[in-house]
Amino acid sequence: MKKTRLLSLLLAGVMTASLAACGSQSTVTNNTSSTPASSTAVSEGTRPTEPQGQLVIGTTTQMGNDFYDPRFSNNATNYKTYDLIHGYGTVVSDKEGAWVYDPTVVASHEETENEDGTKTYTVTINDGLVWSDGTPITAKDYVFQLLLESSPEMNGVDGYPSQAGYSLVGYDEFFAGETEYFAGVHLVDDMTYSVTVRAEELPYHYDITYASAMPRPMHVIAPGCDVEDTAEGATITGDFTTELLLETINNSTTGYRYAPTVTCGPYLFDSFDVASAQCTLKVNPDYAGDYRGVKPVIEKIIIKTVKTDTMINELKSGSVDLLFQCSGADTINAGLDLVDAGEAQDNTFFRNGYGKIQFDCSQFPTDSENVRKAIAYCLDRNEFARQYSGGYASVVHAYYGLAQWEYQQSKTWIDQNLNTYEKNLDEAKKLLEEDGWTLNADGSAYSGTGLRYKEVDGELKPLVIEWANTDGNPVSDLLATMLPEAMTEIGMQLNPTTMDFPTLQTAITHSGDKIYNMYNLATGFALASSPWYYYSTDPVWMQGGYNSNWIADEELAAAAEALKAIPYDDNDAWLTAWQNFILIWNEKLPDIPLYSDEYYDFFSNRLHGWESTSVWEWSRAVLDAWVDA
Amino acid sequence: MGKSRYLLKRLIYIIFVFFIISILMFAIYKSMPGNPVDIMLGDSKTTMKPEAYQALYEQTVKSLGLDKPLPVQYFAWISNMLTGNFGYSTQYKQEVINVIGAPMANTVMLNILTMFVVFLISIPLGILTAVRKNSVFDKSVQVLTIVGYSIPTFIIALLAIFLLAVKFPIFPISGVSTAGSTTTGLAAMLDKLHHMALPVLVMSVSGIGGITRYVRAAMIDVLRMDYIKTARAKGLSEKVVIYVHAFRNALIPVVTVTTWWVVGLFGGSIVIESVFLWPGLGKMLIDALLQRDFAVVLTMQMFYVVLSLAGNVIMDIAYTMVDPRVRLDS
Repeated sequence: MKKTRLLSLLLAGVMTASLAACGSQSTVTNNTSSTPASSTAVSEGTRPTEPQGQLVIGTTTQMGNDFYDPRFSNNATNYKTYDLIHGYGTVVSDKEGAWVYDPTVVASHEETENEDGTKTYTVTINDGLVWSDGTPITAKDYVFQLLLESSPEMNGVDGYPSQAGYSLVGYDEFFAGETEYFAGVHLVDDMTYSVTVRAEELPYHYDITYASAMPRPMHVIAPGCDVEDTAEGATITGDFTTELLLETINNSTTGYRYAPTVTCGPYLFDSFDVASAQCTLKVNPDYAGDYRGVKPVIEKIIIKTVKTDTMINELKSGSVDLLFQCSGADTINAGLDLVDAGEAQDNTFFRNGYGKIQFDCSQFPTDSENVRKAIAYCLDRNEFARQYSGGYASVVHAYYGLAQWEYQQSKTWIDQNLNTYEKNLDEAKKLLEEDGWTLNADGSAYSGTGLRYKEVDGELKPLVIEWANTDGNPVSDLLATMLPEAMTEIGMQLNPTTMDFPTLQTAITHSGDKIYNMYNLATGFALASSPWYYYSTDPVWMQGGYNSNWIADEELAAAAEALKAIPYDDNDAWLTAWQNFILIWNEKLPDIPLYSDEYYDFFSNRLHGWESTSVWEWSRAVLDAWVDA
Repeated sequence: MGKSRYLLKRLIYIIFVFFIISILMFAIYKSMPGNPVDIMLGDSKTTMKPEAYQALYEQTVKSLGLDKPLPVQYFAWISNMLTGNFGYSTQYKQEVINVIGAPMANTVMLNILTMFVVFLISIPLGILTAVRKNSVFDKSVQVLTIVGYSIPTFIIALLAIFLLAVKFPIFPISGVSTAGSTTTGLAAMLDKLHHMALPVLVMSVSGIGGITRYVRAAMIDVLRMDYIKTARAKGLSEKVVIYVHAFRNALIPVVTVTTWWVVGLFGGSIVIESVFLWPGLGKMLIDALLQRDFAVVLTMQMFYVVLSLAGNVIMDIAYTMVDPRVRLDS
């Protein structure tokens, strides 16, 4: 029986290509815990005082040989490795996902609102922080980062975006190479720097992030260069050229991108085996701690690729110690079997995002709110989430993630105020009637069966929804099973077209012919969630890929925009405006949220103190954890 | 003189075909939907302000030469390629030459070992079954070889993992080496061979099935020939008859298969590489296609074109070596 189960897991995994994981609502989830995040970890023991042991982390995303920052590599696992290697950012997110000044790094900070509408952030860093080669870290290293990563010289290194100081005064002139001085950046003294934000970038809810900078080792990246401050702003002196950076950053064997030998994060880069795509990190003995002062006590971390179909077997065999953010019933059930057998532990939490049907609201007929709602009424979303996820998912009803604090504080309000769009074909028909879909193909009154038509500018148009989806996607397969029959019953026709993801992207961005009404995709919420960009009626934000629904709704845009100026510490005002925004969103329905995954971390019994969530991911949680020697 | 003339003709033919295929390949990939620049810039689209992204987009298009007309792009690409500059990978944001080496080494290593195992087993087995035609042994091997090459590779792979890595944990489930291993030299090589065991086993099953039947059929044909009867009538030992007289004459079809195996050394298997997480050329090619990383795709495709064309010539030469009756100039 057990053999059959293992084998069927392997087979099912190979035959099912899964693009994303699952999601759930309390009515769907198998998790009997009362809170979204829970753990069955029991064997805690005592946290050692000195680093010991090694942790092998399995990831389903194969790592690439690139360790500078996300602007060079889009690889999700590499993102997290940057967190481990590069440290001492002045502004970080805490365990609850809130932005805070890091007291381990920042001795003091001051914000000054200037008369011209700009705002200056002055940050003094603590004495005693050092690079891994023992060189002291000073404010120069922070200013160097802002200058380097805003400079045209850096832009010459494989087209690096050079956007670090985009919101600061004088960025345009500095990036264009018109001046060597960055007016909005100053080196105040050895341990203090200041940045001045442009007036047009304010007010901004997350304005604390403008004060953020991260040190870069100037003596490694630009040897022989220095940072100087002038009345016109800070500048890099010496032979600072693209040619220099191509050697120090981009050299394929010694460059900082591929072998960052001098860093200051909790872990140091040890090696990357290109043949096996396996990365090894070693604890940084000089690390001063994260924002809570916590230092890692796992001596060595190895990140290796695993395959979804076999990763639970890898955990069982001991070839990996940790699998993070596992999703899908097959994997989760196999993992829970290991936990039940006492061979592993688990930690679960909800994803901060959801899978969805995304509408193109600029395209007839999904430009109509009623048509979008009618489609929503055709789908039993609870059943969809249950079937898709095997019970490890939840259903959300608007633009929010289950890990967001706003959701946590609004559960009752959401239950009372949001439309849950339970499957209701009569309601769907009513909405279509109200929208004018009342005719047959010959122009006579709709007979009650067949395709509905509507007269638009003297022309009869059928109620046809063009749906673009990707191949090998179980969400597409399930939608194709659950939607068409109900849609036909209300007089609507669904035309699916299957394509690969780059082609789908072309359709969403209107780079090719504008054909499609809806797509099935997934979305995740950033810690600095900025809906005012995503629902802006300004065409720039639509063409720019933010407003990918192409929805131009003034009421929705205003509700989102109202959030932008609320001060970061005014939680009450933010929550009120947020509730208003999602209420309107729920009414306009630019997407139909389908499922929100319930993620599981599975880990070996030799790992202790593991606590991760969707806002405190594995690269942060690893600092608190320890392994048996 | 005849052979040189033949080789010269083939060389001209190869160059001609190479350029025709290069034009076709270039046109096909350029006509594919999907924007490589958008994919290359990835999340930047929603982490940068639209106007900044647009500026970056245009700059990237220019730096990749995608703002030029297609014929200009083609000539730039082919001339760079002929001088060893294979272009810039939009997926890895590195020169293609820097990213293609490791997967190629992985693929070649795996294929060489597989080829060695396959030929080591299938040629003696093919000969033996031909000599013992219609015996129980022959029939058993026939059944097994049919099963071997009929079952899809991924099924064999999953069965092998289940049996030899999960149920009886003799071999590792996946990967190229043990995580965290600091061994060097012989120990490192043994570790790698340990990790190669399952993929080689799986790849060998279908190979053995096919080539055994091929050798068997060729040998049966040869063993019917009059000169084999003559050899036996002369009193030669059965070993000499089979391995010297019969097998040499059965080699022509085997040479055909062997040549394509050698050419195929550089061809990765997406199934094997995905199931066993063996980072090779097969997975690299499919990833590059999905990411519209045309520099990588075109480099690999043109490499395969050259290999295939060269393979044909090598095969012709090999025929002359195993069968003196074959003349290249005729």
